Amino acid sequence: MEKQLIQLTVNGEDHDVVVTPNQTLVDVLREDLELTGTKVGCDEGACGTCTVLMDGKPVRSCLTLAVEAQGKSIETIEGLASGGELHPVQKAFIEHGAIQCGFCTPAMILTSKAFLEQNPHPTEEEVRRAISGVVCRCTGYAKIVEAIMAAAGES
Amino acid sequence: MAEHTLVGQRVVRIDSRAKATGQARYTADLTLPRMLCGKVLRSPHAHARILNIDTSKAERLRGVRAIVTGKDAAGVKWGVFGYTRDQELLTRDKVRYIGEDVAAVAAEDEDTAVEALKLIEVEYEVLPAVFDPLEATQEGAPQIHDHAENNINIHVPIEIGDVDKAFRDAYYVREDRFVNTEYGYCQTEPYAVLASYDSDGNLEIWTPNASPHTKAKALSNLLQKPLSKVKVRKVYTGGAFGGRSDIFPGEFIAALLTMKARRPVKLVYTREESFTSVRQVHSMVVDLKTGVAEDGRLLANEIKVVMDGGAYSSTGPIATSVPFLVWEETYRLPNVRFNGYRVYTNKPVRGMYRCHGRAFLGGLGMQLDMIAEELGIDPVEMRLRNALTTGDTQATGSKIISCGLSEAMEQAAEESGWKHKRGKLPHGKGIGMGANGMMVGFPMGIRGGSSAMIKFNEDAGATLISGVVDNGQGNESMVVQVAADVLGLKMEDINLVCSDSEITPLDQGAYSQAAAFVSANAAMGAAIDSREQILEIASEMLDATVDELDLRDGYVFVKERPERNMWMGKAIRKALIEDTPIMGRGSYMPKVDQRREWVSNPRGQHAGTFSFGAVIAEVEVDTETGQVRVTNVTGAHDCGFAINPMAVEGQLEGSVASGGVGATLLEEHSWDGGQMLNANMLEYKVPLSVDMPQITPIIVETIDPEGPFGAKEAGLWGSMNMFQAIGNAIYDAVGVWIKEFPITPDKVLAALEEKDKDR
Repeated sequence: MEKQLIQLTVNGEDHDVVVTPNQTLVDVLREDLELTGTKVGCDEGACGTCTVLMDGKPVRSCLTLAVEAQGKSIETIEGLASGGELHPVQKAFIEHGAIQCGFCTPAMILTSKAFLEQNPHPTEEEVRRAISGVVCRCTGYAKIVEAIMAAAGES
Repeated sequence: MAEHTLVGQRVVRIDSRAKATGQARYTADLTLPRMLCGKVLRSPHAHARILNIDTSKAERLRGVRAIVTGKDAAGVKWGVFGYTRDQELLTRDKVRYIGEDVAAVAAEDEDTAVEALKLIEVEYEVLPAVFDPLEATQEGAPQIHDHAENNINIHVPIEIGDVDKAFRDAYYVREDRFVNTEYGYCQTEPYAVLASYDSDGNLEIWTPNASPHTKAKALSNLLQKPLSKVKVRKVYTGGAFGGRSDIFPGEFIAALLTMKARRPVKLVYTREESFTSVRQVHSMVVDLKTGVAEDGRLLANEIKVVMDGGAYSSTGPIATSVPFLVWEETYRLPNVRFNGYRVYTNKPVRGMYRCHGRAFLGGLGMQLDMIAEELGIDPVEMRLRNALTTGDTQATGSKIISCGLSEAMEQAAEESGWKHKRGKLPHGKGIGMGANGMMVGFPMGIRGGSSAMIKFNEDAGATLISGVVDNGQGNESMVVQVAADVLGLKMEDINLVCSDSEITPLDQGAYSQAAAFVSANAAMGAAIDSREQILEIASEMLDATVDELDLRDGYVFVKERPERNMWMGKAIRKALIEDTPIMGRGSYMPKVDQRREWVSNPRGQHAGTFSFGAVIAEVEVDTETGQVRVTNVTGAHDCGFAINPMAVEGQLEGSVASGGVGATLLEEHSWDGGQMLNANMLEYKVPLSVDMPQITPIIVETIDPEGPFGAKEAGLWGSMNMFQAIGNAIYDAVGVWIKEFPITPDKVLAALEEKDKDR
């Protein structure tokens, strides 16, 4: 397949990358840009662990082609802390014990961040719905929901 | 030691920052220079003889660097026990399940590796296959292994007391059959392995695992290389739940590929491969017969279970025994006959699971409720009358040194409002209890203990070197918390080096629920040892006896006169100058009967101690759709002592997802013969955030005399008793017993229909 040069804006930095038209965003993030904080859990859009933010909205980067991301602003977990200062959602996840194996954590945190920007004062039910696209096998979601509610209270 | 400064506190885990920022690297995230991509060719047949494998076309493809088949292996068979060595990890003679590893390729990139697989020509002679464990034991069924007649892989017979007489004497006897289908671990991280081999013959392996030492020993046997040359490195692991324990073909294949290509090779499984070609969870048919006295005391149990083990042994003897052992670890069983059979079929290999034996333990716990109803006894009371207590001896001979089972039951009942709810909720709503005991570690020979070391820097910081393994539950943080508490340091003052088969001492791993009881015990021992060395030196410097001194915030001080103190670093430096550097050393081997053996001698002390718990589930059953929704779970667990209560609670909460909503209501594999139909996360349904109930954890502390600070375990809190709690709650809600797991809407509707017919 013919390769093409595209520009991606990831965590505020511009990158020139050479991709094939069928290459997924997660593949380019992980393989070309070495941003391995974005995980691959199923590679078919079911588990949500590959979630990144595209123009502020959560997308499954395994179902997004890299070429579709041109001209959009991509945010991954690596870009969330600014100048060593953790994002309030990251802090809340840490303090509330919402992280066990950590494999779903980047996706959970990004999804929560985007959600809280849209809905700063959610009910617990709304939080549960907001993260229902990301599978966690360790925590039973209890402390994740607790952390998001706490982060909402802080903002 | 003075009062605790750290243990017992809700502390932030040491690994959480790395995980929250994306810096924690899992196997698939790792790269090495000149790394190749590995891919495995898998069997399309459930049972076939391999007549020939022709790799010549694939070898000629541009970019292919190595191809391996069974011919490249030393032909050593693997099994966890000497008597279960039945699997060549790259098979030569036959394939025994769809998805079995037949050959593998290492190539410059993934596309080339996939292309090369298509060019490998395998000639098979397809053989008749068998997929049902009961059929597999019949005369004339296809024989899967030459050594196993009637495909019986493991038979565990246990008989205690006079079972037949006890049944004759019983006031009431009941027989039921419970069954469950296969299910999966479905860890969020798919299976992956990175292997690298150097010119000095050193093999390095990174793979999500529960025990680097176990993997290293197995690879050393299989590759016929000394253990010192096989180095299984530490890497973050995205969940295990029992499914990362013994050796898998992937590690062996990656090792063969890197040794042949002389370049690093990374093998990352697809989700489908992770479902079919690593480990699955046993299906089983369980026949239960229970006899009781008029007051509800258990007099006799006869239990026969047939488990579908799939094509190879894996941890077979353990898997066959554990549900029975969990039962005997819960209640007084004066007379019991157990026959556990693990049967070979042409299906993928089954292993141990955190929620193993749902039909077995769910069945026993539901039968207990059925009997209680017959006798007019409240289900909680029925359990209390039979519950083991401290000082009791279990059926096969294990003494219990601490037990909070009755307290757990009573507290869970109280907190949930059991008395006001059981039998009193409106139709469609119900409440039910489950309870169980749990072995904390079990006999694993030299691998059943743990040892640890601590060394100090001249600035008073320390490094703890421990074999402890963390798959997500928080074990790494736990050993640091324990050591820091003993040494009067902050957790951030202690670095941890762990889970590396070369560098860290032997440890059982994140296996058998032993990390707190055994690994943290060893870390505590190393901390106490170094603390004593520090205080010895400081006693000269502060002119006080060792007993008069304590450590806090990096300082040694005289307890009665805290103003007489000194920085700990001074003692560490003095020790260096005097050529007596401070090096802490600790170890712990649980007090088990090492002669005990799963099949040949299932008698004697099985575990150093036991944990106990009870859960109460509340459900709503939609009688139109058959949908069951768990609304509340109250769980009480005797974990001995909660080192980090926040982490302990997380174990119940996770179990409510995996054992409760998942294993009880949702999760199962579906099949067409030997072909798994839902080997993907769209169709294999796991609990999501919206499926989860409100959860109330209650920690019961019995302060175990052997455990570090009294701690036992919490990893299996709820995971093995949720099945019965939900099953019993469904009965309370709509008056039907569902004896097949998972309890899906179709089964609920069928049972309701049946009940209506009877009326």
